[in-house]
Amino acid sequence: MITIKELPDENLFTAGHTACPGCGVAMSIRNAIRVLGKDTAVYVPASCGVVFGTTFPYGAWKVPFFHTAFENTGACLTGMQAAFEKKGKKVTVAGFAGDGGTYDIGLQSMSGAAERNDDVLYICLDNEAYMNTGIQRSGGTPFGAWTTTTPVGKHIQGNRRFKKNLGDIVVAHEIPYYATLSIGQPLDFIRKVEKAKNIRGFRFLHMFTPCIPGWKMDPARTVEVTKRAVESGMWTLYEVENGEKRITYKPGKMKSVKDYLMMQGRFRHMSEEDINTLQMWVCKKWNLHYKEKGSPDVCEIAPPDEHHAVTEEHREMHGP
Amino acid sequence: MYEVRFHGRGGQGAVMAAQTLAEAAVNEGNYAVAFPFFGAERRGAPVLAFTRIDSKKIFSKTQVYNPDCAVVLDDSLLDTIDVVSGLKPEGIAVINSKERPEDIDLGKIIDTATVDAISIALEILKAPITNTAILGAFAKATGVVKIESLEESIKRKFGEKLGEKTGERNALAARTAYEKTIIGKSRGIKKLEARKQWLPTYQEMPVGGSLIEGKTNAGLIGPGSFIENKVSGWATYRPLRDREKCVMCLLCWFYCPEGTIHRISNKGDLMTNYDYCKGCGVCANECPVDAIKMVRARV
Repeated sequence: MITIKELPDENLFTAGHTACPGCGVAMSIRNAIRVLGKDTAVYVPASCGVVFGTTFPYGAWKVPFFHTAFENTGACLTGMQAAFEKKGKKVTVAGFAGDGGTYDIGLQSMSGAAERNDDVLYICLDNEAYMNTGIQRSGGTPFGAWTTTTPVGKHIQGNRRFKKNLGDIVVAHEIPYYATLSIGQPLDFIRKVEKAKNIRGFRFLHMFTPCIPGWKMDPARTVEVTKRAVESGMWTLYEVENGEKRITYKPGKMKSVKDYLMMQGRFRHMSEEDINTLQMWVCKKWNLHYKEKGSPDVCEIAPPDEHHAVTEEHREMHGP
Repeated sequence: MYEVRFHGRGGQGAVMAAQTLAEAAVNEGNYAVAFPFFGAERRGAPVLAFTRIDSKKIFSKTQVYNPDCAVVLDDSLLDTIDVVSGLKPEGIAVINSKERPEDIDLGKIIDTATVDAISIALEILKAPITNTAILGAFAKATGVVKIESLEESIKRKFGEKLGEKTGERNALAARTAYEKTIIGKSRGIKKLEARKQWLPTYQEMPVGGSLIEGKTNAGLIGPGSFIENKVSGWATYRPLRDREKCVMCLLCWFYCPEGTIHRISNKGDLMTNYDYCKGCGVCANECPVDAIKMVRARV
């Protein structure tokens, strides 16, 4: 297993790209490609990733890069893999699609590649809305979240639907490897990417990537928010290898979902009632993933704790 | 017709400023239009916005190429962009800067007004969003709209979107800037060269439209060429690392979304390249021993 210290120095995703300050997607891409190494070919469909990573005539990728349309990540990966195989080259073919390009628009193509069990690595960067086009709701948007297509009005406030359970959809294809990742757990992150790299067949990595303007939050707290998501149960870290599920990180006691929500402007309008509805959904998910067999359902919430802060001046810039 | 061009960075509110100015002009009985120009910009990238004001109906729909006034929301733009390009000879530049007009080099001697909008914004709004403060300076420098009508439209426009209190604080920021604006003449020493752009014709492109790694007169192109793009101007803050406190856990190196932090392997040390730092503050927030502090990038 690689530790942070053993990661290579080389930047395969160079500096100077135009992502927003504190971008969770840029962070995840950089570290994923660090582990995947030089012998990788990358496909990115329409997303922020293609806008900030490759602006003609610049490119941040130092590996072969390909881009066509929004909905065909799975199909393109299959094609690239077939071409490399024909040429006799051993290459990891990786696709970095957003949640829109996976949950909604690219679902059929991803499903096709998964069904064929093609030897490709599919990475979903889940920032819970169509951020590139200006924050529209996607299948990955959680309950209560503000987006431009689920605005906060007098009668309806934010998104009324719950986040789609993509994990189970992907796992139902009986693929060799599916894992959820969060940049807030670096060792777990590195281990899962490395593991996916070394498995043959269709592998799916589901990354949780905060979006600063879309989530309306302080850029300094990108990593902190992913940690809180995991602690509160909004995001669960597990892997499914050949149908066998394993929890890779279990938080001690469930933290209130409110701590996680109040860090982000997209949830700040939420009423107590809506927060409770979401908390119930989180409890259900928590029990589904973390409950030991035979034990009763729990919904106990630990009191919040303090996180060390950045300097006063920096905090002043972004408000409390 | 009075034409204004706003130079800002994504997130500073240049678009809102242009719209608010247009609204204030309309409230005074004029005709006005406001619109932005942007491509694929993220937060912090240079953006443009325009306002046209006239006593007659306005039919012109183009960008403003010969403004009567150029408003600059971020003085770091002065190094990379010719903000006064096409400015009419009797025009004026309104710049957010700590310096006095005579210390600012715009490449030609023109009327210039300066105001330290970022300090005003940080003090009153607690955020480096300079759009309302710079509007106050605009009112003082040009007199095209009255400060009272600006305050009114700021209260209405910002109050509607962000709450009444925020609206009033923004109006106060405009008034404060109005009172603190200094008017003078700029210096005209530096020569701004137009940046060379590599724009190939289709005959020059390899078959299939792929872009290979290469070097042109305009700089690097293709894979890995983004290092040509220095983004330090985006930052309001930058990190300072305390070597004594640092325990070399490398978390900052791992988390940095830009790749500005480099490992010097043989010395067991880290180096930060501020050319690419956007000042997000993730490194300072995640440092387990609080060895990194965020300080103002340009003082």
